Amino acid sequence: MQVDFAAKELTVKLVYYGPALSGKTSNLRAIHWLGTSNACGELMTLETQNDRTLFFDMLPISLDSQSGLKIRLKLFTVPGQVMHDATRRLVLQAADGVAFIADSQRSEADANRESFLNLKKNLEENGIDPERIPIIIQFNKRDLDDIRTDDELAAIAKQSRETIFKAVATRGYGVMQTLTGLIRETWTKLEDEHGLEEKFGISPLRFMNEVESQLKHDLRRAER
Amino acid sequence: MIQDETSAGDILMGDVVRLEDVLSRDSVTSVSKSFFNLFGLPVRVISHEGDLLADVHRDQPLCNYLNTLANGAQQCAATVSMVRDLEPQSGAIVHPCFTGAVYRVVPLVYQGRPIGRFILGPYVPSEANGPPASLASVDGGVDPNMARGHYDQMPRVREEIAEQLCNHLKCVIELLVFSGHRAQLASTMQVASVRENYRELVEKNEALEESYKELKQVDKLKSTFLATVSHELRTPLTSIIGYTEMLESGAAGALNGGQTEFLQTIRGKADELLGLISSLLDLGRLEAKNLELHREAVDARTLLSAIGSTIVPAANRRNVTLDIRVAAATPKVWGDAVRLRQILLNLADNAVKFTGDGGTVTLSAMRGEIQTGGPAGLGTALFATTRPAVALTVQDTGIGIEEGKLSQIFDAFYQVDAGTTRAHGGAGLGLSIVKQLVDGHEGTIEVTSTLGQGTIFTVTLPAADEDA
Repeated sequence: MQVDFAAKELTVKLVYYGPALSGKTSNLRAIHWLGTSNACGELMTLETQNDRTLFFDMLPISLDSQSGLKIRLKLFTVPGQVMHDATRRLVLQAADGVAFIADSQRSEADANRESFLNLKKNLEENGIDPERIPIIIQFNKRDLDDIRTDDELAAIAKQSRETIFKAVATRGYGVMQTLTGLIRETWTKLEDEHGLEEKFGISPLRFMNEVESQLKHDLRRAER
Repeated sequence: MIQDETSAGDILMGDVVRLEDVLSRDSVTSVSKSFFNLFGLPVRVISHEGDLLADVHRDQPLCNYLNTLANGAQQCAATVSMVRDLEPQSGAIVHPCFTGAVYRVVPLVYQGRPIGRFILGPYVPSEANGPPASLASVDGGVDPNMARGHYDQMPRVREEIAEQLCNHLKCVIELLVFSGHRAQLASTMQVASVRENYRELVEKNEALEESYKELKQVDKLKSTFLATVSHELRTPLTSIIGYTEMLESGAAGALNGGQTEFLQTIRGKADELLGLISSLLDLGRLEAKNLELHREAVDARTLLSAIGSTIVPAANRRNVTLDIRVAAATPKVWGDAVRLRQILLNLADNAVKFTGDGGTVTLSAMRGEIQTGGPAGLGTALFATTRPAVALTVQDTGIGIEEGKLSQIFDAFYQVDAGTTRAHGGAGLGLSIVKQLVDGHEGTIEVTSTLGQGTIFTVTLPAADEDA
């Protein structure tokens, strides 16, 4: 988190992590597509010819709060391919919250696990405690065959420390819920650590209401 | 922990630090010029820090005229300065000039942050009905007719159109910023990733270096251990053999047939064990590089004949034909006769062992060459020198060795097929010792093999001087 007291501006970094081709960039594309033009900036993608993320994608979101505080959310994706580990570690620097995008297909279970271990390792290398940073998990590609069933996910969710979301990112389903879920958990954590309510007069509840009201129109678009 | 640089924090937050870092003066000036050529409207682009990045305008006759008058010049400077310092927050500001012209100041925003602004104007809104009174009253010396004439030459545009043009220009400049930022992030990330990869490789190399050192240490321990243990084993074994011989010779009384047979078995096995222990000792000495060689000129024919007579009984038992060929003018070998015998006996013994019924083992010697003093391959012709040598080959028509295993056969304790240990005996030390002995003679050993057809070992050893 970066705070600019003079400009009454707060920047929060959220990173979309996960195995190769699990749909991290698709999540950002959907948010950009669903997002109102005054909240969402341009989606920046740094990709190769084959649509594979080379360094990262970045989507800036600016929210105005009634307290006068300007909140900038920076959404990043990491490159999922194993060989880009150094880049993943760099992108993860100073992250405030992580959305782990898992592939729901049964065949990808190992890739999910491996990537999650890699996330833990890279957080530690960046001096971030994986036990303390807010992490949520999205099971993406719910429209494909041979995926882990809803019942299975419900059972997993009961045991999971991380909140679980379901999505079809290419169609925008579940993408905004994942984002607001991540923002909520991240904000709660930042409130605990930095006392944002006391400093800026913005309560977590009010903040989330403002986030949701600014993204409300977009949620309806996604559900359609 | 990843190293951080002064601006890397901002860059990895994905923020633009200064407009100039991502927007080149040349490209924004080109865009402004093109805009000016199309619409005749002056454009100035200023960064958030107040630096003028582009300034495309033509001096207006009205401004030139007013600047010739004291009050006119003062008012003009004040207006320009005020316009330059305007920092619009959300929307454009339209700032009037006392001449009736206006300036439009438009904020440039990137990712929710102000990064600069541009100024369109001065221009006269088409909606205006002639110059305001302030134009004539700014200075006592203003000639109303002249001022009016110049006023009419000012660029004109309807406010609605001006707003649209500003939106367009804002969009173009912000896109330039976007692509500049994208390029900046890509190159920064590339450099940072390379640096991070390098750091990781250095760490891994250090770890490998460390484990290599440990392995070398362990290897040294192993050699010392082998040497010590072999030595300690040999001492009691010598006594066993000695006492067995004494018993056999009847030193402790006459023996019956069964006792003699048992003693012969004990002797045979004890000799085998002694051979193995000697090999281990040799290996230990060879690895420690302290095996002494007593070199002399050794005749190849004598050497091969002696080997032949040693292995004939074994060859006969297996119905293997033994063939010895020594080419004419084969020089003498410069080597330790005992060790040369050890080398060839080992190879010949193996050849007989792995050749089936009716096969042939051929021992041959001929003149050869050894290349020395230069890397193999590139530039050999320039670096290498050759010296006369003797090539000794041991060829069999046996089972052969798989190509993939050829590179390992000289490793100590390596057996091509673990099953052969039971069938043929041996500890997998022979070829390792052969290799080290050949190396000790500054010679080379090569092997070629075809599965099912046989194997050829070629040992090339330095030749003795002709007059030796």
